[in-house]
Amino acid sequence: MVNLTIDDKQVTAPKTATIYEAAKMNGVNIPILCHDKKLKPFGACRMCLVEVEQMKGRQIPACTTPVTEGMIIRTATPDIVKARKMVLELLLLNHPLDCPVCDKAGDCDLQNLTYEYKVDSNRFSDEKFHHEIDYNNPLIERDMNRCVLCGKCARICDEIVSYGALTFIDRGIETKIGCEFDEALNCEFCGSCISVCPVGSLLARPFKFKARFWSLTKEKSVCGYCGTGCGLTLGVKDNKILTTIYDENQGFHKGQLCVRGRFGYQFINSTKRLMKPLIKKNGVLTESTWDEALGLVAGRLKDAGSVAALATPRLTNEEFVLFKKLLDENVGTKNYDHAAGYAHSALTEGFVRSFGTSASSASILDIQKSDLLLVIKTDTYETHPVVGFEINMAVKNKGVKLNILSDKRGKLSKLPDAVTLVHRPGSEVALLNSIAKTILDEKLSNDAVASVPGFAELVSALSAFSAEAVADQCGLTAAAIKKLASDYASAEKTLIIFPTGQAYTGHNADLASAVANLAILTGKYGKEGCGVLCLSEKNNSQGAVDMGFYAQNGGLNGMQVLDACTNGTVKTLFIAGENPLTTYPNRSKVKAALDSVEFLVVSELFLSETAAMADVVLPVCSFAEKEGTFTSADRRVQYFKPAIRKNVQIKTDYEVFSDLIARLGGNAPASGSAVFKEISEGVPGYQGMSHVALKKDSAFASVVITPAFVIPQATSAIPVEQGKLALVIGSALYHNGTLSQYGEGPMHVCPEGYIEMSHSDASANKIANNDLVTVSSATGSLQLKAKISTRIPAGVVFAPYHFSDSPVNTIWSGSPVTFVTLAKR
Amino acid sequence: MNPITPIINGMAITLKHLFMKPVTLQYPTERPKVAARFRGLHALNVSHNKAKCVACYLCPTVCPAKCITVEAGEDANHDKFAATYEIDMLRCIFCGYCVEACPVDAIRMTGEFELANYRREDFVYSKDRLLEKK
Repeated sequence: MVNLTIDDKQVTAPKTATIYEAAKMNGVNIPILCHDKKLKPFGACRMCLVEVEQMKGRQIPACTTPVTEGMIIRTATPDIVKARKMVLELLLLNHPLDCPVCDKAGDCDLQNLTYEYKVDSNRFSDEKFHHEIDYNNPLIERDMNRCVLCGKCARICDEIVSYGALTFIDRGIETKIGCEFDEALNCEFCGSCISVCPVGSLLARPFKFKARFWSLTKEKSVCGYCGTGCGLTLGVKDNKILTTIYDENQGFHKGQLCVRGRFGYQFINSTKRLMKPLIKKNGVLTESTWDEALGLVAGRLKDAGSVAALATPRLTNEEFVLFKKLLDENVGTKNYDHAAGYAHSALTEGFVRSFGTSASSASILDIQKSDLLLVIKTDTYETHPVVGFEINMAVKNKGVKLNILSDKRGKLSKLPDAVTLVHRPGSEVALLNSIAKTILDEKLSNDAVASVPGFAELVSALSAFSAEAVADQCGLTAAAIKKLASDYASAEKTLIIFPTGQAYTGHNADLASAVANLAILTGKYGKEGCGVLCLSEKNNSQGAVDMGFYAQNGGLNGMQVLDACTNGTVKTLFIAGENPLTTYPNRSKVKAALDSVEFLVVSELFLSETAAMADVVLPVCSFAEKEGTFTSADRRVQYFKPAIRKNVQIKTDYEVFSDLIARLGGNAPASGSAVFKEISEGVPGYQGMSHVALKKDSAFASVVITPAFVIPQATSAIPVEQGKLALVIGSALYHNGTLSQYGEGPMHVCPEGYIEMSHSDASANKIANNDLVTVSSATGSLQLKAKISTRIPAGVVFAPYHFSDSPVNTIWSGSPVTFVTLAKR
Repeated sequence: MNPITPIINGMAITLKHLFMKPVTLQYPTERPKVAARFRGLHALNVSHNKAKCVACYLCPTVCPAKCITVEAGEDANHDKFAATYEIDMLRCIFCGYCVEACPVDAIRMTGEFELANYRREDFVYSKDRLLEKK
């Protein structure tokens, strides 16, 4: 800490702080346009000029000057104010002053400073700019006439998003922010540039002209898409969510969002939302009343022996507990599950065996504190983009080494010095085993490791997995595997990250055990910057696991429930928010199951394909209309309250479950906070939490690790079928599950399914970009648009699984790798 | 004072008024002369054959009676215009703040004061009714 004086006030600040940061910390506000706390100092706008006693004679930019001991700083002398006025006059010289039609008005740094410094006239005169406004994409409008060249957009795109879409082009007075070759913006549309723009140069088009900033109510919430657990600030007007608002102080991610978080909110106020319960009468779903619908459902649930339930991991913790209570106590069935029954197995089986707990041993905050990251699949960026941003920052700012094991390259592979080992699809576990084997052979393991249970068995089980033996199966060289093993073992702090999800069937309990073995072998867990981080797919996947809402004690799991529906043992199926018809493997099997089950209840926001097959459809609320808690992938428990009032005709899942409990003669807990009290008493790690405390700040559920070695069953080498391509399923960056299909933003940039392939496979099959291709597998065939890219290795094709209109599960039966043939239509 | 004098004085005033121009306006056959700064019904100014209003929302923001409803739209040139502009005359207090706030001189108040109507919804003046007549 250093001591200094700011405006005659004695203050202290950390040695690394700049004058601007020191002043802000101590409540002195220095005006600035080009600073964001996530970005490196830049010094572009010259608004933050201050006087420093020790550097008399010139004005010092506060944002780039580090503090020193004994500094005497004055931030608002008449000379400084005059200089700032001059800066504003010069900025306003070329600024169009079209505040009445500029959406930024009210939230505009330049406007606020102009008002604050009373700049109402200009001594200079010059022509305004006449740059062409970029309306080429549906999400981001770029009006360079309003730009003040602070460079924040270019810097956030480079430093955090690591895309590099924007940069300064041209020189002198002609300098502007532009894309490569001054063409239209075509990036991943995360909108980070919009969030930091101090003026109206970059604007969100979905919100354009919808409302003025000052008429919006800012409601804090938690994003309802992936498991990262980002905080959201929603802009609400007239009980409608109109936009998301940037708050640099929100959450671990400091307000940083991905494309779906920022632009995918429209589903909440969608006109397609279900507003009345539907009951199938004479084969047609007809509108009905809640009383009739719930009475019908309650009547069916009384037949305990034949009831099963599937829930989406988007329910709140309280709803999971209540649903479980309904099924366990009032209905009397153990057949319930979430996420198809396998997407959570890495946690509920893998980590339970290896770490003795169904949670990750590291948090997202560990990413930047680590020395080496081992990422399984580049898809981590697509499934959890904000975690991807953390990886970008770790690699670019902290010099963290990045190693990737993946079946295709991806954006993470482009990071500086990132090492990507592109292996054959489906050989992850064998590859991880061979890394473990190398660590053992080269004696790189931790000394205390022999005392961990299962060590001897592991050593003997791994004997077949020498790097040389596995290299061929993985399509890698033994040297590369050995290099990775020694890098991993020799780095002081290492973190393994892998995504899970319904599309990633290979990321199962065995993969979780295999990565856990690596961490346990080298002793890299339970410490800062170390461990294994399993990124669960949906916003409350981890919560569903923590609440125990999965098949246990002989209950049928997700896929078994569907089999039981087909063979008639399950007669009543309650699906809360899941859309198995699109997201579960093998569509024809799912369809047969849903067809043959006697009574199907679906509670949903929209009339999804699954809901359309139901006997009773219950319209329920989105995250923005209810209160509760979500647990993120790294077990951060966050409370959120309703951002808008729900429509009176719909109910929350919580109300549906408690109504059903009452109808079945049980006693439902009085409120969500009462349910959470039960959670805090019963769920390990949640002790001491309450809604009241969580309203103030989120909290991590603690994790207690008891390591054990487990032998992961590696699938033997998958024989390549001659003339066929290996299809891997996964997530697209713009989507999460099937919910994002109802968000307009994601659908603007990624409206339909596609099949991504390498140049060589495309030319071998004479396929060009955007050609309609018939993809056939043993399960079925499907038409998809071709997308040719450099990131896919030859012999591999990739397809995202989110789209109801092009359901990939018609050609995918759940195996990690499906062999397909392509035929141009 | 004797009791007769006030009565005479009163009668004198009455008599005087018999010969003065009457104050009472024989409305509706006679029309009042409305002052230029009178604040009556609003009109939206027109320029180049379209409303000058750019839907900046300053008038609904400043309106103390919250009687102005504006919804902005985006035209073919990506410019902002008022897709909806409504004033609820039952709520309006004719303060004139909307005119004062307007940065583009798009709204003014006319001398029109005969706003009576038969139905409540007729008091909500839509953009069409507010556009100045030429």
